[in-house]
Amino acid sequence: MQDTQEFPNLQMPMKKYVLILTLAILSACKSGYHLTNRTANRIGVDSLAAVSDPSLNSFLQPYRQKLDQTMNAVLATSTAPIEKKLPEGPLNDLLTDALLQQASQRYGKPIDCSHLNYGGIRDNLPKGSITTGSVFGVMPFDNQLVVLTLTGDMLRQFLNHFADGHGLVMGGVKITLHDKQVQSVTFTNGRTLQPNETYTVALSDYIANGGDNTDFLKKAVKREDINYLIRDALIDYVRQRGKTGQPITPTTDGRISIE
Amino acid sequence: MDALASNRRQFLKLLGTAAVVGSVAPDVLASTGYRKPTSLTILHTNDVHSRLDPFPMDGSRNAGKGGVARRATLIQKIRQEQSNVLLFDAGDIFQGTPYFNLYKGEPEILAMNKLGYDAGTIGNHDFDGGIDNMVTQFGKASFPLLIANYDFKNTVMDGKTMPFKLFDKDGIRIGVFGLGIQPAGLIPKDAYKETKYLDPVEIGNDMAAQLRNDKKCDYVICLSHLGFKYNDATVSDNVLAGKSRNIDLIIGGHTHTFLDAPVAVNNMDGQPVWINQVGFAGINLGRIDLTFERGKAVSNSGTAVEVK
Repeated sequence: MQDTQEFPNLQMPMKKYVLILTLAILSACKSGYHLTNRTANRIGVDSLAAVSDPSLNSFLQPYRQKLDQTMNAVLATSTAPIEKKLPEGPLNDLLTDALLQQASQRYGKPIDCSHLNYGGIRDNLPKGSITTGSVFGVMPFDNQLVVLTLTGDMLRQFLNHFADGHGLVMGGVKITLHDKQVQSVTFTNGRTLQPNETYTVALSDYIANGGDNTDFLKKAVKREDINYLIRDALIDYVRQRGKTGQPITPTTDGRISIE
Repeated sequence: MDALASNRRQFLKLLGTAAVVGSVAPDVLASTGYRKPTSLTILHTNDVHSRLDPFPMDGSRNAGKGGVARRATLIQKIRQEQSNVLLFDAGDIFQGTPYFNLYKGEPEILAMNKLGYDAGTIGNHDFDGGIDNMVTQFGKASFPLLIANYDFKNTVMDGKTMPFKLFDKDGIRIGVFGLGIQPAGLIPKDAYKETKYLDPVEIGNDMAAQLRNDKKCDYVICLSHLGFKYNDATVSDNVLAGKSRNIDLIIGGHTHTFLDAPVAVNNMDGQPVWINQVGFAGINLGRIDLTFERGKAVSNSGTAVEVK
């Protein structure tokens, strides 16, 4: 194409040239380019590989600053550390109560019980100020809320699975265990566990998807995915508790007991 | 490695052919003249997951790694050294640090603009702020989001993405298209709403054929968020590559797979398709250097260079 500029004023040769050029372009289009070599590198991005670009850094600075402020924002205070424990701990109770309340609110109708994966509770909450960052420490995972409808039989299987496994962490129920199996179940809302009735459970998508070997949950009567992070539910709940002006006093109510 | 070896063999065969042609008809070569090889550098990330700052120095495995400001420096340096550079992302830009929870994806997208991304595709976590947020945040992007197998018709995302994009670099035509993962069971329904998922193998082959034949692309790249490989028959980059025609390179994501080097999988024509994926969180930047020469596309018609 650049070559045509060499003949700007020569009409006849140019016509010819254009024809030849057109043919050349046509044939070039057909053949195009072909690959003759390919190599690949994986470049590690760390302090040795490169310094931070100053303009990117200054672009991020205001976001970073406000983020730090948010993470350090005090949601509520506690009179003592709120700790996770098996078979029951104050953190287990606080988190499952939080999930049950927030999930019911978001779901728009009451939910029978809530469940959290004991292994997914990654930290305790501190004595004194509980910040957004503290809740991130407890629940760093971005698990979404799922509401499953289970038959009484399936709910019993579910409870036994965790009682016999990595720990049963529930809200909205009072349960007695014997030899890692459920003996009795009473719902806070007054219901009793009947094999053929159905119950709603608020839990994380991780468990609803079969995490911690809960593949049997795929047979749930109904699954509803709620676009609400479990962590956001906990943050919202702790913030509400803080607004009452009363500090949280960590307690357990004996909802899980061993006979 | 096999792919490299077989590619090298083909290249040698090609040289053989050229030598034979040269000795028989020197005038042909003289009239076409020597053409300088053209190089193209492809840089890529996947599953950066809102990791704008490096991982904190807390003694964990990835402590101190990553960081968008360092990535910017690396990319700038490569752009200074190479004339033809393309920068892509294979999805899951969002979710994973409190930045996303607070800002819903804005700094991630604006940083990508500053880094000069040429295109990206959509990952499942990019729906995490809801589909309305996706419209808002992707609306701030100065690069296109490519996705060929999501039908957004009945959603607010309609018209906000493109199936493919063509790039011309020193006469080399590169066609790039995107493929997304099955949302059902992975993304909350009220986040993806009425997004329709279309078969990635079927759409991928349609796209690639269109780019190769109608758009005359010399090189066809698929940005994929399907995942590298699964134990079952679930469609993955490996499955796609094996059932494909006309795709040269799959830049993958979703499974956070750390590949030391691209993996080659033979396609329906027995041609090796390169699949690459570089972990997650911007810990790595993938770099693929390609050299092109004028003439028949050897890698797509292996029989053309057979020397007996």
